[in-house]
Amino acid sequence: MDIFVQLIYSGIALGMIYAVVAFGYQLTFSTSATLNFGQGEALMLGSMVGLTLSNLGINYWLIIPLVCVFGFLQGTVVEYLGVRPAIKIKSEFGWIMSTIALGIIFRNFAENIWGRSTFRFPGPFEDDPIKLFGANILPMEILVVLGAVSMMLLVEIFNRKSIYGKAVVATANDRDAAGLMGINTGLVITFSYALSSLTASFAGVLISPLTLAGSGAGGALGLKAFAVAIVGGLTSGLGIVVGGIILGVSETLTGFYISTGYKDVPSLIILLIVLSVKPAGLFGKTTIKKV
Amino acid sequence: MLIIKDLESGYGKVNVLKKINIEVPKNKVVTLIGANGAGKTTTLRTITGMIKLTSGHISLNGKSIDNFPSYKVACLGLAHSPEGRRVFPSLTVFDNLQLGAFPRLTGSRPRGDFKGDIDKAMELFPKLKERRNQLAGTLSGGEQQMLAMARAIMLNPDIILLDEPSMGLAPILVEEVFKIIARLKAAGTTMLLVEQFAVGALNIADYAYVLENGRISMHGPASKLKNDPAIKAAYLGGH
Amino acid sequence: MRFKFLALAAGIIILSLFPIFQTNTYYIHMVERILIYSILLFGLDIVVGYTGQVSLGHAGLFGIGAYTAGILYFKLGVPFLVILPIAVIVSCIFGALLALPALKVVGPYIAMVTLAFGTIIQILINEMTFLTEGPLGIIIKKPTIFGFQTKEIHYYWIVLAISILSLVVINRILKSRLGRSFEALRDSPVACDCMGVSVYKYKVYAFIISAGFAGLAGSLYAYSEQYISPNTYVFELTVLFLLAIIMGGRKTRLGAIIGAAIVITLPQLLGDVKLFRIVATALALVVIVGSALLISKQMSTIRKVAVPVIGTVGLMAFSYFIKNISDWRLTIFGFMILLVVYYLQDGIVGFVNNFYTKVFGSKKSTRDQIDVGSFDKDDAIISAKNSSAPDQILNLKSVLMQFGGLKALHDVDLVVKKGTIHGLIGPNGSGKSTLINVLTGIYVPTSGTVEFSGSSIVGKVSAKIALSGIARTFQNVQLFNEMTAIENIMVGLNHTYKSNLFEIALNLPRFKREELAAKQRAYGLLKFVGLEEFANEEARNLTYGKQRLLEIARALALDPNLLLLDEPAAGLTAPDIKELLLIIKKIKEKGITIILIEHHMEVVMAVSDVVSVLDFGQKIAEGKPKEIQNNPKVIEAYLGAQAT
Repeated sequence: MDIFVQLIYSGIALGMIYAVVAFGYQLTFSTSATLNFGQGEALMLGSMVGLTLSNLGINYWLIIPLVCVFGFLQGTVVEYLGVRPAIKIKSEFGWIMSTIALGIIFRNFAENIWGRSTFRFPGPFEDDPIKLFGANILPMEILVVLGAVSMMLLVEIFNRKSIYGKAVVATANDRDAAGLMGINTGLVITFSYALSSLTASFAGVLISPLTLAGSGAGGALGLKAFAVAIVGGLTSGLGIVVGGIILGVSETLTGFYISTGYKDVPSLIILLIVLSVKPAGLFGKTTIKKV
Repeated sequence: MLIIKDLESGYGKVNVLKKINIEVPKNKVVTLIGANGAGKTTTLRTITGMIKLTSGHISLNGKSIDNFPSYKVACLGLAHSPEGRRVFPSLTVFDNLQLGAFPRLTGSRPRGDFKGDIDKAMELFPKLKERRNQLAGTLSGGEQQMLAMARAIMLNPDIILLDEPSMGLAPILVEEVFKIIARLKAAGTTMLLVEQFAVGALNIADYAYVLENGRISMHGPASKLKNDPAIKAAYLGGH
Repeated sequence: MRFKFLALAAGIIILSLFPIFQTNTYYIHMVERILIYSILLFGLDIVVGYTGQVSLGHAGLFGIGAYTAGILYFKLGVPFLVILPIAVIVSCIFGALLALPALKVVGPYIAMVTLAFGTIIQILINEMTFLTEGPLGIIIKKPTIFGFQTKEIHYYWIVLAISILSLVVINRILKSRLGRSFEALRDSPVACDCMGVSVYKYKVYAFIISAGFAGLAGSLYAYSEQYISPNTYVFELTVLFLLAIIMGGRKTRLGAIIGAAIVITLPQLLGDVKLFRIVATALALVVIVGSALLISKQMSTIRKVAVPVIGTVGLMAFSYFIKNISDWRLTIFGFMILLVVYYLQDGIVGFVNNFYTKVFGSKKSTRDQIDVGSFDKDDAIISAKNSSAPDQILNLKSVLMQFGGLKALHDVDLVVKKGTIHGLIGPNGSGKSTLINVLTGIYVPTSGTVEFSGSSIVGKVSAKIALSGIARTFQNVQLFNEMTAIENIMVGLNHTYKSNLFEIALNLPRFKREELAAKQRAYGLLKFVGLEEFANEEARNLTYGKQRLLEIARALALDPNLLLLDEPAAGLTAPDIKELLLIIKKIKEKGITIILIEHHMEVVMAVSDVVSVLDFGQKIAEGKPKEIQNNPKVIEAYLGAQAT
């Protein structure tokens, strides 16, 4: 029983990471109907840059904002090189392939800079677990959940309270009308990509002390986050937290009770089921097309 | 203030507008009327950069705004209340109004008395005052039209483009809308009013242009055009 | 056409004789792989090139084909000729499992799902060692067919034969109603649904067919390599497949073959730094010279060519900078994708075609021209006079259509009598188009009943409603622009075919008959609207007025009992309008009921039996045309009060 609850805890922490990455998908998809297929690589770069900073002796808590800045810049590059040209020529194929290409390039650079091995990422806490409701939980796992939730809340507050946030929501609602308001919608889209990579890099620094950091970490993560984004809905906010928890827990449980090899399978199955039954996601809204 | 010269534009291969010329002088209300499909909305969308013009020129206060993106045109003082209203459904009434003043709140235009203007807007549109914190998507058609117009006014613009404000509204609401336009006119607001509802438009405008199949078929002081039998024929058949 | 056929024949002869003269098995094997990849790419092109979807899982489907072959061979000793069809079927099943849920929604979902799928298949193949031997892989020997042990060269000929067959089958599929449906759903999904061709269904068909070809290629691959292991079927392979399609050129078979060739020889290129430097330099020179040419002929500007020039020069510089190319393989690869996606969108084949037309100027259409000389069908329209539909063919009661706070249709009752022309007028925004969209299933009414021919159509999908007898035209013309006039109508005739995929693939008699009948009927419909001389003209090249007439002809192809015309006279000149009125009258003579939305009053008044007037989402008047014209409420709605 103890192990079971422990697995639930780790599953939730893992799921929250997926949720943060999926959150990044929502940010860009709501404003531009595009997303970054290399989002996993953004997370990986965040953790690798964080690792380098850590090796330079910088304190973990200072690393977080630095990596966020890096992520912000990385996202801007992705939007400029990969997405903006595709939106101009209205090609879905274009942005899918170019964000994939950029992801591949980033990964290759990471392999050459940091090599292909995995590294231990020193976290801010000791590794002693705390007892919560009778089972063990690592302080780092608690930090992950808190960090992920606060990041998403911060963005939500920004969207609701600040004029710039409202401009982003307006762009997501109706891009043309937002332009008429004097909102530079192109800049809004760039900003959402920058923010999206920021959240991914942030997630990378959060998860690395729990798992290992390495140049190959990005791929599978980005994928799992897809599943979360679809389950939760590509345009709604709340659903991804629920989706993340469901997928994270199913992964840890499968990994332990069946085999680590199969741990990625439940996410695909859940994804297919949700798409068949409620394509807009558990919490998503179906949009009405106009002719 | 707004000068359109030999404008041609359209969608893809089809040139909807064929060399049209329109002038909107300061403090005047100019209306552009015509049957559906004549090209009225295309004209407004070309001015605000939603469609690319193929030839011709548009200038605002002497400066060219040919093919400027929408946000730039707005920052230069041209507000557009679009066809179909297009309020932001997941934002509240207040938020929508606030966004109307976006350039003022972000430094692209003088800030002026923002709070005072919100209060003025609420007073001009009492229905909006009641629904200040309601999501715009839940408003009725008439209320959304009010919101779209109030939102345009919030820019504190030099000129307002009103695209078919009476569209889809019940006669009693149309009356209300035109009363508001009259109040704006009395305050000296420069407006370009595009309307299918010809009589109402001609009643309130100073000058009118009639658009038929992408060309200006006639223009003149609104009071003269109001009694012209050709207008009625253009709308209710008998070509 | 002649030229193409000769070139193809020459190609086949060269390829067949190739292994006799070039006996080095390395090269035979390489060409074999190109052929196998081509088979997969033919199928992938249907999904990516024709229906415009992005599949990121074809390496996985390829792997399924390979492993189905491997497992059946290794565990059960199933013979080669039985394995091939089984591999195809298994891949099709997987394809269906993916496509059925993922294609339900428009958006990048199919890309995301197939990406997940591809990754997981690779993991599963690795993990399920009891079935797949996992990382150890499976060794396969060249097949024994009816006791004859084939060698490398025989197998090569088998692969060649199968790839030629695949080419023929794919061509047949793409030239048939399936191919037209795939293109139509991309050109205008709304019109496609309303013509009875369900966009969802055909997207799924396309995916399943491509899965089948991927599985076939995979199983051939297994025997070709004689060893399969999980780490082949990875994401990188999928990206290679997609790169091949874009680089070669979408919607062409030659493009697929060129793409396959490039992608297979790519590792050679990316393995040797010196070779790479030569190619990068050559490419940069070609781009610079080509750009200079285009600028001198004033066909491009410095701004436009800046990026490809900088890009290729940068690539060249990069090639001299790096010492070990294999470390940077992926970066070069990613870079190539970026360049191709934005600057070589039509692929090499498309680029050459465009270049040719730009420089030498030939305006030949790329579409197939149908020989209509012998057609003369005159009774192309099926009379609806004797249909069993009730007198009240359309009955709407208390229909409410609400979007958020907006009531686009508010308590609308409408009865349309069979065989009449029912006009529907009203100011902009009064709900006319909304009503048509409700009748064709694009919107589902919030409440109220809609009965057509006695049964409710609320909740039915557009394609089904179209097939039950309601056809429409669109306010903003929604033709399949890249197809010819006659092809547009043939999409509407999709419902007349009973033959299935096999009959199409094998060009069986029933399919041939149905295809000929459809062509003749389509021509007859063109004659009905007076467009017969434009049969082979691309729809986008027709004048606006003719496009509207073509839409009507296409709608009639559905054999409708009820025809909805949404502002057919908009933008037409006076002579065009006269023609339109004649055609509307002819349609009425055939007993087809018509609902006519119009703003041109003379059109409505001239032909309507009854006119209903909408304003603010409600019906405010109904009656004979003359009554309506003088109805004060109607006048007020259009012009406002105080109108004389």
